[in-house]
Parts: sequence; structure tokens; C-alpha cells
Amino acid sequence: MAFESSPARPVQQQPPSPLSPQEFKATAEAILTNVEWVIEGKSHTIRLALAVMLAEGHLLLEDVPGVGKTQLAKALARSVDCSVRRIQFTPDLLPSDVTGVSIFDPEKRDFVFKPGAVFGNLILGDEINRASPKTQAALLECMEERQVTIDGNTYKLRSPFMVIATQNPVEMEGTYPLPEAQRDRFTARLAIGYPDVNAELAMLDHRGEFNPLEALKPVCDGETITRMIATARAVHLAPELKRYAVDIVAATRTTAQVRLGASPRATLQLLRCARVLAAMDGRDFALPDDVQQLAVPVLAHRLIPTTETTMGGGDTGSIVADIMRHVPVVSQPGRY
Amino acid sequence: MNSQRHATMVAAASLSLTLTPLAGIFEGLGWAIPVLLMVAVIATAGSLVRSAGRGQGLQTLAMVGALTVLMTMMFNGGTAIALIIPTPDTFSHWLNLVGQGINDIIVMAPPVAPEGGILFMTMMGVGVVAILHDMFVVGLRTPALAGLTLLTMYLVPVSVAPDATAWFWFILPAVAYLWVLADDNLRRVSRFGHRFTGSGQLVGPRFPSPLAATARMAGAVFVTLTLILLAVIPTNTSGLVDQVAQGYGDGEGPGGGDLGSLDPWAQLSGSLNRPDPVDVMRVTTDDPSPRYLRMHVADVLTDSGFHPSPYDELEPLDSLSGGGEVFTAQVENLELVDQVAPVYGRPAAVDLDEDEWGVEPNTDVIASEDSSMEDVDEYTVQYTDPDWDAATLAAADPTPTDSAVFERNTDHPDVPELSGIVEQLMTEAGAVTVHEKTLAVLDYLSPANGFTYSLETTDAGNEEAILDFLDTKEGYCQQYAASMAWMLREADVPARVAIGLTKGSYSEGVWTISSDNFHAWVEVYYEGLGWIDFDPTPSSGVSDSVSFPWATEPSEATDPADQGGAAPGEEPTTTAPTEAPTLPEELATGAQEQPGEQSAAGETGGGASPAWLALLLLLAVPFIPALWRSALRRSRLSPRRLNAQTAWDETRDLAVDYGIELRASFTPRQTAAALAQAVPDAREASEALASAVEHHRYSPRGADAAALPAAVKDLRITLDKNAEPRLRFGAILWPASLAARFAEQRGRASTRLTELRAKAPWPRRSNSGGDEAVTGRP
Repeated sequence: MAFESSPARPVQQQPPSPLSPQEFKATAEAILTNVEWVIEGKSHTIRLALAVMLAEGHLLLEDVPGVGKTQLAKALARSVDCSVRRIQFTPDLLPSDVTGVSIFDPEKRDFVFKPGAVFGNLILGDEINRASPKTQAALLECMEERQVTIDGNTYKLRSPFMVIATQNPVEMEGTYPLPEAQRDRFTARLAIGYPDVNAELAMLDHRGEFNPLEALKPVCDGETITRMIATARAVHLAPELKRYAVDIVAATRTTAQVRLGASPRATLQLLRCARVLAAMDGRDFALPDDVQQLAVPVLAHRLIPTTETTMGGGDTGSIVADIMRHVPVVSQPGRY
Repeated sequence: MNSQRHATMVAAASLSLTLTPLAGIFEGLGWAIPVLLMVAVIATAGSLVRSAGRGQGLQTLAMVGALTVLMTMMFNGGTAIALIIPTPDTFSHWLNLVGQGINDIIVMAPPVAPEGGILFMTMMGVGVVAILHDMFVVGLRTPALAGLTLLTMYLVPVSVAPDATAWFWFILPAVAYLWVLADDNLRRVSRFGHRFTGSGQLVGPRFPSPLAATARMAGAVFVTLTLILLAVIPTNTSGLVDQVAQGYGDGEGPGGGDLGSLDPWAQLSGSLNRPDPVDVMRVTTDDPSPRYLRMHVADVLTDSGFHPSPYDELEPLDSLSGGGEVFTAQVENLELVDQVAPVYGRPAAVDLDEDEWGVEPNTDVIASEDSSMEDVDEYTVQYTDPDWDAATLAAADPTPTDSAVFERNTDHPDVPELSGIVEQLMTEAGAVTVHEKTLAVLDYLSPANGFTYSLETTDAGNEEAILDFLDTKEGYCQQYAASMAWMLREADVPARVAIGLTKGSYSEGVWTISSDNFHAWVEVYYEGLGWIDFDPTPSSGVSDSVSFPWATEPSEATDPADQGGAAPGEEPTTTAPTEAPTLPEELATGAQEQPGEQSAAGETGGGASPAWLALLLLLAVPFIPALWRSALRRSRLSPRRLNAQTAWDETRDLAVDYGIELRASFTPRQTAAALAQAVPDAREASEALASAVEHHRYSPRGADAAALPAAVKDLRITLDKNAEPRLRFGAILWPASLAARFAEQRGRASTRLTELRAKAPWPRRSNSGGDEAVTGRP
């Protein structure tokens, strides 16, 4: 993977022209099919990952090693013709390794900016919870601001820009857990999970001969992705749907099992992702079904359960799922 | 107080509450002491044996023993040993008391004095009920069954004297029953020390449960509803005893509805059918051949027969005027309870209380608005009883058709069939004058024409009871008199029915008149002569009947042509007492035939349309949910209101009706999926509906609702086809969606109520807050 040293592009003046719902759906399907060729039997996770990408969000993959977190990130990146950067987070990683650094060029007799790993379209941050807090903070600041400021110069990051971070839940030694404020910046947290028996068998057959990742061809370019993002932004959100999303998020704040509920940013990102899912379905309006698919990935990692809940074996995912079972789709009484 | 004694006390107290309607049938409160004593003695006996740890068998035995001892003490008639041990004689004395009590119940109208047979029967009944009640509530711990004993206790006074026991007496028995249920439940729950309240709190046994408010509310609401229902529903308010023993319902008989008075017809049939006649009065008179004692005059003829006009515009007694030979009669009242005073012939003077008694101007009936014969032990009446000869009667002119007498006394309902019979009769007899017509009718009703006296009448299926009588030709004085009067009215002769007593039996200067002497006959108006008595009933059927000299008794007549003046001066003859049928039910049937009476069956079958309406309403009640549901569906799918949302509401409700579980958190797609999973055939319709409502709600463009009613119908048919029969009927008759809707609204209402209460400025007695509350773990 080449370490490109291109500076940030100038800001696009022309707004990208949106795609028709059919085009959007077809493109999304093509990307999904492509990725699924690599990661078998995980279409739902892939779909959500793509939705996060098209919602201009960042993804936190939390799962045990070896289930294909990195594969998923790479396959997604390859399907789109864009640059992928990988950062292996270690305790001694410095912020400048992430953002870039100005080095004195003796020939030019000047400081030259050497861009860090964030100057790509897709950033894969492996084991993010192993880095020291200040390095984490550097990355997370880029994620939110989508720009890097070094020595007084502001460098705009690429678009599309997406961070896919992974962390291992079991390896607790020598880790710096992400503070809630930083977890909140990730749009969604996904677990890939083990493949089922058939998918694993199929995987053995394919991987025996070659690495499918190598053969993966891009199906769309960064330009198309930008247009898709613009399209998804135009998806209609009915007032009732907004109310539904607010009700769900509000419920996470009032339930007794949770110490800290989801933030308003969560509501925003929930609906942003719902728009993408709707567009991926070929619709120009979002449905509560979209919200329901996203609630657990988008909300669960933001909640802090009470000690009782944790000790009782409950996790935030099941709390959100429980909330979903109780919040009425239509808040007006007597209506369904 | 331990739990057993507490429960015993509750049982006794609740029973005592249920006894309150007895106040309506007894005079004063003298009955309460022995009756309450009975309840207390039985409760004490049961409680003592229970606390000694004995079983239910011994408890019951002890209570029966206590009952026997107390009854022996109070009603031994001098036959008991040491006042409390009954002997065989005691039991036969009791049997006598029972017989006496039954007689009293039939003859006397409430309120009665609390003594003798009636008190005995009451106490015996209360005692037995108290034993059962104690057994159900305390011994067997089945308080729900105690409802039966309380109901029995409540029904007895209410059916014996429906008029005396007003509707509101229902409250106390109802409250007593609720108390028994609540107390038992409390006892059951309190055994665990603390009560669970549903909201996660525990409440100490001495504190009210928060749930109790709901229970109290429910109890109050149901009692109120029942009372409203009782007040609204038109009922036949006559008592069971009246209906069974006398076949009579006093729905509209004037003078029948008031306390202490009897409907004349009911009194008549009831008295004639007494298994053992009683003497009602004794008369001494200087009239050598007294005739009938007139009490009521039924001159109002309606669809339901002859009735007396109401005795509410009475004239003073001194407006009476006699003429001719005046006789004086001394009347001693024995058993008569009525608001009219029996008098012979044409009364000239009666020495009754001027303030209480008066004369009904149209009929000359001596009546009282407020008082009754019950308060009169003796009175003297001066009267004339002129004899008429046939020639005078035959010469009488027809009554002018524009006179008040004519209008009042020829008014009759239109019964074409009867008109035909009368017209044919008059034509055949060639009757023109009043007297000819009267004789023609008398002849028509004579045994020679096949009419026979019988206390049992049968229903021949005609609309009018009179036609039944003319068909079957069987009946008694009521039928005879009413038919004759009605037929005469058809023939434009003023006629009315008199109800009273025959002369009775004579011995040592005193005429003794018994309940068998009740009788009905006819008065016919002769212009210039006044009202003349005729008796169409065969003398064989009338106890102590009298033959009027101006009209031979029909059973003896052979030739109607010379009947008129044939037997003047014939002396009254005494005939055999009537045969008394024994089965009261037959009477009930018999009475039903007769105009002027109505029974429960008669009321529902005929004139009382409110009762029909109420019945219809009652029958409609189970269908209200179904009607409501289908109205809701029509409204939702009506073109005016139809949109994807209303169609979707209907879809959700249909799913609920057919038992498909849906959550409020289901999106339209999930709902459709749930429907499709439950009934695969319904997939298409439900998905179409779901998609429509999705577009309606979430899409900027909305949805086209035109095809949705068809989809809803499709869905309904599919669901119906696939449902089990039980579910199918349930979905139609008692739709679950309606119930869910009610539950939801109730939930919202209670939330609002809670909010209001939270805002209320006054402190609430509650366990959920405050320092005194005992909450938390015991």
C-alpha cells in the first residue's frame, strides 16, 4: 500500500450531482456484492458498514481477532477506487505519525509537510485502544474536524473520509480504553462475529487457492461515492420518523439500566445512517425499519450501563434492543 | 379479635344488613329484635364450636341446635319441657304456625304485625339462612357462595311485598356481599403479614392497600349501575306470592298499587281460591233478604279489561241519598283489608269517618283515599234495596246517547269479532229495549247455551280474553260478569261490573261472610230507574248467591222470552259453596284469560311495549361490541375519511381481533410480516396495506388509498377463513381490538388521574410516601 504524500485537495466548489434512487441502489449493490465476495455470510454487517461510510461516519469494529475486521475494511476500500491507509496503533505511536509532520528539506531550505496516515480516504486504525490517549486524541480530532492543523497550516482531509477502527474486547492488558467522549465520535460500532458453518466452509474453498482480496476490482470511484453521499443527504425524513428517533434516544437516557444515555449527536447520526439505508433500498424516504436496524450499532457503544447491569451480565446492545421493543413507532396514542 | 371471630362477626353483620328489606313487610321495628337475636345466637354458637377446634359438621349441628332452642323458647305454645326442649307437640304447634303464616301471607297485605305465623316463618327462615351463611363465609371459606344466601334473604321480602320494599333496599345487601368478599380476601392475603400491591411495594396489614381504592371504586360503580338499571328497566313489580297464588300482577290496577290495599280482581280470585276460607266480616241487618254487598265498581273498560276508576275524587259521605224502605246493617270487620267499604244496595248513610271516607260520585262506591278497612272495626250502613218488577224494567226507555252515563258506561275497545257475535245475538233475539238486550245476554251466557262454571279457564288462543271465554264457555264470576257487561256495552246498553261479597251464611241473626263469598256481577243502567243488578253467573258456582227477582237465575231459565217477569219476588236461595281448585298455577292461567288482569306472561305478550323494548335492548347488549366494531370499520373505510392511515388502523385491529399479537413498536413492515407469518395467504393484502401506510406517513408524496378498502376486505376474508371457529366468533361478537382500545383509554385516564392527584393541594393517604407508611421488606 503506497504511502501517498499528496496534500489536501482544494475544496470542491460545485456540489456533486445526486444519483437517482435506482442508480444509488445499483451502485450500492455492486459494492456490497464485491465486498461479500471476500467476507462471506456477513451481508448485514457489510451493509451497515457501507451505510456508515456513505453517511460520512466512522466505524468502530469491536471483535475478537481473526474474524475479518481488517479484511472488511480493506475490501470496502478496494471496491471503491480510493486510497487506504493503515495505522497499527501501539503505545509508542506519536500523534505526528497519524497527522503528519513538517520536516526541514535541506534542498529547498524550508520545512516540508509530510502528511500522516490520515491523509487517505479510508483509514484503518488497528487496535486503536492500544495507543496512548494523546495519539488517540489526535486521530479522533481529525475524525470530527476532517482537517489537520500543523504549524499553523490547515490541511483539509480527503473526501470521502472514513476511519475504521478496530479494537479487541478480550485483550485488556496494556490498553487505554477509549473515553466515552471519543467513542461518541464513532457513528457505529459493529461486531462481525464468527461466520456460520457454511460460510466458513466456502471460505476454506476460496482461500485455499488465492486471496480474494488480491483479485478484487474497484466498482466505483471516489467521485461516485461523493455523489452517493449527496444523494443520501437528500432522503426525506418525515416528522413522525424524526419523533421516533428522538423517542428512542430519549429512552436510552431515562432507562434505569443506564448511567449515561446517548447524545444528540447520536440522534443526528442515527437519522443520517437511516437515510443511507433508505437510499440503498432504492427509496427516497426513510422508514422506522431503517432506524430499527441501526439503533443497536449506532447507540449501544455510547451508553454507559450501571454497575448493576454490568454485573447482571447485561450489555448495552441488549438494553437498546429492549428499548426498541417498547418504544411505539407512532407516538400519538391510539395509533400504530 | 382473632380471625375466626372476626369472620363470624362479618358474616353475621352482613346478613343483618341484608335483613333490612324486612322493614317493608312488618309494622314497626318489633321484628328486628327477635330476628337479630336469632342471627347473633347462631353466630355465637358457630363461633364457640369453631374456637373449640371442632369440624364443620359439629359447627352446623351446634347452630341447628341453637336455632331449635331459640325457636322453642319463643314459640312453644306451652308444649316445651323446661321452656327450651321441644316435644313432638311443639313441632305440631310449629306446623300450625306455618299454616297460619301461609294464610296470613296470602290474605294480609304488608305491613303486617310481627307476630304469630309470619314471625315464626321469618325467624325460621332467617335462622336457616344464617346457618348456611355462616357455613359459607367462615366454615367453608367460600364467600362467593354466600351470595346465594344473601340473595335468598333479600328476595323473600322483596317478592312477598314488592311495593313495600323500594328499590333502594338493594344497596345494603349488595354492600354486605361486597364486604363479605373483600373481608375474606383481605384475610387470605394478610396471612402473609404484608400485602403485595402490584406496584412493587409491600404494605403492612394495618394500612390500606393502594389497590383498595380501585376495588372500592369498582364496587361503588357496579352497585350504582345496578341501581340505575333497576330504576330504568320497567319491571313487573308484583310479588311472587301474588303471581303464583293469585295469578295477578298489579301493574296498573287503580287502588292496587298502594300500601295496604288490594286489587279487586286479585282479591276476588285470590279469595275464591283459598284452600281454607276465612271469615272476613259479620253483618247484622234488619233486611230479611239481604242481597250482595257491593265493594268496587269496575266501570272503566280498556284493552286489559274492566277496572275501577281511581278513588281520588271523592265526595263527602253525606251526599248519599236513599229513597224508599231503609234498612240498617251493622258490619263488623274481621279480615277485610281494602280501601272500599262493602255496602248493600243503594247506601243512604254510612257512619264512617267523614274525613277519611267519601263517595265516588260515578259509582257510589264508599271509598277512602288514604285509609283502609284495616282501620275500621265496625260501621253501620243505612241503605235501600228496591225490588223491581219486570214490567217496569221492560218499559224503561233507552238511555240518551249523549248523556254522561251513556258515554262513560258504553265505552269499549273495538273487537270486531265480538261486535259480530253481539249483533247476531240481538238480531236473533229481536232485542230492542234495554231490558230485552239484557235478558238476551243473560240467556246467551246461561248453562242452556253450554256455559259452565269453572274456576279453571283455558286459553283458546284468541287475542281477547273475552273471546276465549265465549269460545271455551268455561269461566267463573269474573268472566261471566265482565263478558256480560262488555256485550251489553257492545249493544249500546250502559253496563258495568260490580265486585263485592255475596250475602254469606245466616245463623242466629248474624250473616257471616267468608272469603268464599267474593263475587262479581253486573250493573245495568235503566233510564229513570238507575243501576239494576244482574248476575250472569250460574248460581251453582256462587257461594250464597242471590236470585234477583226481576231476572231469573240463568241456570233455571228455560225460555228467554218469558224470563223477564216470570219470577218476581223469588226468594234468595242458598247454594253449595264453590268447589275450590287446589293448584294455584291453574289460577294463574285462569286469571290471565280475564280482562282486568294481567300476569307476567300477559304483560310481555301484550300491551306493555316498554317491556318489549327493554327485552330487545337487553338482547341487543351482547351485540353492541360487534355493531360498534363494524361501525368503526365502515367509518374508517368510508370515502370521506379513507386514507392509508385509517385503512392501516383497520388492519391492525383486524389482526388483533383474529388473535395475532402485535406490538406498538412494530413498524408497518413488521406488522405485515407478523400477519403473513400467522396467515400466509394474507401476505399480499397486508403488504399492500403496509406499503401504503409507509408512503402515507414517511414519504413526501403520500399514498393512494383507492385500492385499500378492497385490500382490507381481502385481508378480513382471508383471516376469517383461516381462523378457528371460536376465534372467528370472538372476532365478530367480541372484538379484541375494542377491548384493547378500552384498556388503553382506561390506562390513559388513570395516568391523567394520577397526574391530577399529584397536583392536588391536599395530602393523600397513601403508602407510597410519608413517614408513617410502612413500606419495604417486612
